[in-house]
Amino acid sequence: MTATISTTETRAERHVTVFVDRCAGCQECVIRCPAGALSMEPVTWTAIANDAACVGCRQCERTCPFAAITVEGPLAVSERYDPPIHQPVELRGNVEETRRGYDTWEEAIAEANRCLACPDPTCMRGCPAHNDIPQFVAAIREHDLEKAHAILRRTTVIPDICSRVCNQAAQCEGACTWSLAGGVPVAIGRLERFIADHAPVPAPTLTKSDDPISVGIIGSGPAGIGAAWDLIEAGASVTVYEKDDTAGGLPVWGMPDFTLPDEVAARPWHQLVEAGVDLRLNTPIPADSIDQLLTVHDAVVVAHGAGIPIRLPVPGADLEGVVDATMFLKAAKAAMMPGGDAAALRAELGVSEGRGARVLVLGAGNTAMDVARMARRLGLEATCVDWLDERFALARPDELSEARHEGVEVRFLRTLTALEGDGRVQRAQLAHTVQPERTKQPTVLKSVPDVLDVDLVVMAMGYRLDASFREVLPSLPVTKRHVGLAHGRWTASGILKNPASAYNHHSPVGSLALDREVGLWAATLPQRDRVWVAGDALTGPATVVEAMAQGRRAARSILDAHPARPDRSEDFRADHQPRILIAYASAGGTTAALSQAIADGLGLAGARVSVKPVGQVGAKDLAAADAIVLGTWVEGLVVAKVRPAKAMRDWLAATPNLGAKPVATFCTFAVNPRGASDELGKLVARAGGTVVTSEVFGPHDRSDGARLHPTKPEAFANRIAARVITRVAAVVA
Amino acid sequence: MALQTDVTREGHRDVSTGAHLIDPIAVAIRTRRPEDPPSGRFNETDPSPGLDVARNPLVAKILHDRKFQFLMILPNQIIFWLVIGIGLLGTVVPGLNFATAITWYLWFALVFVMMVVVGRAWCAMCPFGGFGEWVQRHTFWRRKDSSIGLGLKMPEKVAQYGFLISVSAFLLLTWIEEYFNIAGPGNPASTSFMVLGIVGSALLFFLLFERRTFCRYVCPLTALIGTVGTMGSVAGFRTRDREVCQSCETKDCMRGDADGYGCPWYTWPGSSDSNSACGLCTECYKACPSDNIGLFVQKPLTSVVAPSRRRADVAWSIALLFGLVVYQQLNALTVFANFDTWLNNHTFFPHYPDPISYLGIIVAVAAVMAGFAWVFKQSFARTDYTPAISGRSFVDRTSTFRAYFLPLMYGIIPVVGADYFARQLPKFFQHVPRVPVAIGHLFGFGSTQSSLYNASLISSNAGIIAVQVGVMAAGTLAAMWTSWRIAGRDLAPVGGNKRAVQISAASFALALGVVTAVLYILMNAAD
Repeated sequence: MTATISTTETRAERHVTVFVDRCAGCQECVIRCPAGALSMEPVTWTAIANDAACVGCRQCERTCPFAAITVEGPLAVSERYDPPIHQPVELRGNVEETRRGYDTWEEAIAEANRCLACPDPTCMRGCPAHNDIPQFVAAIREHDLEKAHAILRRTTVIPDICSRVCNQAAQCEGACTWSLAGGVPVAIGRLERFIADHAPVPAPTLTKSDDPISVGIIGSGPAGIGAAWDLIEAGASVTVYEKDDTAGGLPVWGMPDFTLPDEVAARPWHQLVEAGVDLRLNTPIPADSIDQLLTVHDAVVVAHGAGIPIRLPVPGADLEGVVDATMFLKAAKAAMMPGGDAAALRAELGVSEGRGARVLVLGAGNTAMDVARMARRLGLEATCVDWLDERFALARPDELSEARHEGVEVRFLRTLTALEGDGRVQRAQLAHTVQPERTKQPTVLKSVPDVLDVDLVVMAMGYRLDASFREVLPSLPVTKRHVGLAHGRWTASGILKNPASAYNHHSPVGSLALDREVGLWAATLPQRDRVWVAGDALTGPATVVEAMAQGRRAARSILDAHPARPDRSEDFRADHQPRILIAYASAGGTTAALSQAIADGLGLAGARVSVKPVGQVGAKDLAAADAIVLGTWVEGLVVAKVRPAKAMRDWLAATPNLGAKPVATFCTFAVNPRGASDELGKLVARAGGTVVTSEVFGPHDRSDGARLHPTKPEAFANRIAARVITRVAAVVA
Repeated sequence: MALQTDVTREGHRDVSTGAHLIDPIAVAIRTRRPEDPPSGRFNETDPSPGLDVARNPLVAKILHDRKFQFLMILPNQIIFWLVIGIGLLGTVVPGLNFATAITWYLWFALVFVMMVVVGRAWCAMCPFGGFGEWVQRHTFWRRKDSSIGLGLKMPEKVAQYGFLISVSAFLLLTWIEEYFNIAGPGNPASTSFMVLGIVGSALLFFLLFERRTFCRYVCPLTALIGTVGTMGSVAGFRTRDREVCQSCETKDCMRGDADGYGCPWYTWPGSSDSNSACGLCTECYKACPSDNIGLFVQKPLTSVVAPSRRRADVAWSIALLFGLVVYQQLNALTVFANFDTWLNNHTFFPHYPDPISYLGIIVAVAAVMAGFAWVFKQSFARTDYTPAISGRSFVDRTSTFRAYFLPLMYGIIPVVGADYFARQLPKFFQHVPRVPVAIGHLFGFGSTQSSLYNASLISSNAGIIAVQVGVMAAGTLAAMWTSWRIAGRDLAPVGGNKRAVQISAASFALALGVVTAVLYILMNAAD
């Protein structure tokens, strides 16, 4: 084995060119170079490179704001070692895990040594949970698994599961600097798994609380696990409502043992129940019961996933022998368990083994791969069809190759147009498609379709949200798409400038990561008063790791917000200093000055106040605020288009949801505010906020030099304090 | 929009953030500490904090407005499209045609005034780059996320020659102008074609390359403005506190953010030591998240004297540009006209200007400049002097010759600037009254018979000579001062006797000033 890990000593082959005319000496490359190959030339004050020290990772190229540096030459990195896949001699009935982790320290450390420990690690941004990858890899190099677990624990509670089921190629490994440079990334997933395989994931460390906050979590999947874990560790009282008879959600019922062994999938719940989480199985919570839960819990986390299978509405879809992935996977998993009856399942599905019964799986994502590989283990032939181009396939690259290796036929650029049969499905018509670009939907061609004889059709194109929850949570699902320019830190890291290497199926890892941030921050904001949503329930179908990370974000936001149910004691409420955010749009400084005056008044009333121009208010500020004060100048001529300033209107339009937070508004005007205040109120309501009080300030209402107190701004602050602080601190209707 | 941008904001500096919401990314970034510039590196070039005009709230408000540059460009955009149209369709009488009159009697002189007084003032309002930029950004003033075009970078093989690309373009354009007698003034349509050619090539470069690659490298005027403009009293947009810029985590002034584009000129206010590459476009000022950029004014000639980094492309540009203006003086002499005709007869070239004499004189003048630098080197260089470790590109290669040539050329910038300015003055003084006549002609009144058409601000040769010599005297005095200062700081450590090298450098500037002033007397006498 060790022979395969050979260090290629190619240092002299690299050459770094700094464009001295364009290098502005900003040192963005110098501070990020993992090899310390860059420094500053004192006279010209431009960067200079030491070619001998350069490892060729091209971090400097990606980070230079003026594209003033280029690197030529090969990457100085040893070959990656991936343990061979475990291939069962007899596939049928065998659910042993196929992928292996590193068995020995030598293997793990050799791989860990490939990590450059980038000062601005892009892998971390690529990881949906933002695991501190360079640090846990360093801990492996130090032979310190306990430390590695401690580092992982800051960001994840399921490293054993994530390391098995994540599509690392499109996430952390796709964002590894080697990958961004067109090379083969560090095996981050396998190193994470090495930690989890060789030292048990530590159980929650509990904090005692006399009067714990009570949180109800709907759903026990990864989002529920993430939320429950952080809450129970912080001393909250956690009740989890699970509709199934087993806890764990999709990883338990939907992921076959050969990908995720049951004992691994069940591990978090063993630990959580032992830590004191009240897990209530077989307890479905319909949408209209959320209000009821809010009377017994201080906060509710909706994390029930997106479990409604998508069905393709083609002619013949209602024939016998057409099932969905959920049904198939659940049944197949049960049949494969010790004591399960595969023959009975085959009979129930109407297929018999031995005569080459063919299962057509619609889709070629990870669920479809699971279905097809499970079908192979049931002794059936399996064909997956997907209308995407294989270059842009959604399945993990290794999963795809494993499936093919097991005899699954995968046809890309095909789409099902019709199912035919006499009562039971017999034939499928598969039209050809074409997809030249990742961002474009495939086009269906009019050429003669393929006809395939099939005995069973499993629809595995994915899942959607339960529509009934939209009635109580109309803001769902949140669209995970980053709009506008990326924040400078993201651009500076270089993750957005990737050539989309073949290793990660050309996936634009940077923009995918940026999109995921939208989901993470949406989980941070309550979608309704005292109701947070996380995981697939929030964004629609996504990944295990994202759901877990969102669950944790929701939990942390709850801990910060310290919500209280109506019957809570004053003592419980007194634990929490109300936090008020004043967001203003100011043109000449009047609104800003008034905001400060109101902030002073609210501060005297006991609130923790932060004052920001709307342009600087982010989701984090909103999440951290119990109440919001919005102040704007009034734009327009005296009679025409008199309304709140554009900056305020734009900001409110872009705000996803204020979660029914109490909002006070004020407008500053020169001549006449007309209907500006009412319009602002409407915009706030549209953004999901509740206006509790509002005020307008004219030229004579400024507090400067006033002899009478309270001045109008002071009186307004007092009114907000009475309405908002008591509202936060006392009864919420 | 604001919120969408902000969802990724890492809040480790956020005081309002709750205790439990700590962004793990911010915690894990372990970038090295940036190196501090050598002490004194920016001492002489940093303008005084009191000279930051952006401290004025009204100025700040104007500069923050995204429409600011658009409104600067718009009038010129209208004028130059009128020039194109009227040059082609209007009267063929040059002095009466708006295109010729405004371009050659007014604009060209004004450009030099702005250059010497401000720096890159013209670049801030230039309609040629402005038009290309509007197309590239597909907006007049808004901040768009996308741009049109290929967004290529100027390859280092070319970019290392910096301003020399622009000098080549300027030499080519001037030769064309002389050949077709565009500014002469010849046929007004020629002026239209020339402007159209500039707008077209600017547009082409804006569509091929990113940012203002055209303005930085290719524009025929950029080398002239970038060198002579260093005499200007506007330092441009500079950092208010270098420490803040160094530790800035986003460098929005270079990369751009929601409020402004990244610097189109490839200049970082945090390290800028001259006004040479600041296009005064205000983008960095708008983009800075820390309000750490100011618009500074400075004492005249500061950007000539103060920068410690001397660039080879700038030095050679000055030498060649000096060659060009000397050529333009020589070509007014009868003896040169005879020589050019003789050369054309023997090289079978149709008419003036013969490219051999044109390039020959320019290169010869540049070579004489280099020769003087060589003489300085031979006379003053310490025998034990070893140049600093050489870079690999044209701009930062080092040698003992360069150690003299570069500072000497910077020192004579005021002479070159004055020479160009003086060269434009006769047209301005003699013909600028024709501008209102040409404008009037568009509306049906104003003719070659009008008294204004035939009026001059200064009509006599003696008057013109007096003004030109006066300008040259001022430029020469300025050059003697800059040469003295630069020699004292840059040349003295390389050689032995500080005072001797200062006197020699100042004398060199004086000699150039005297020669050019005498040429003005001769050429006007020849008229």
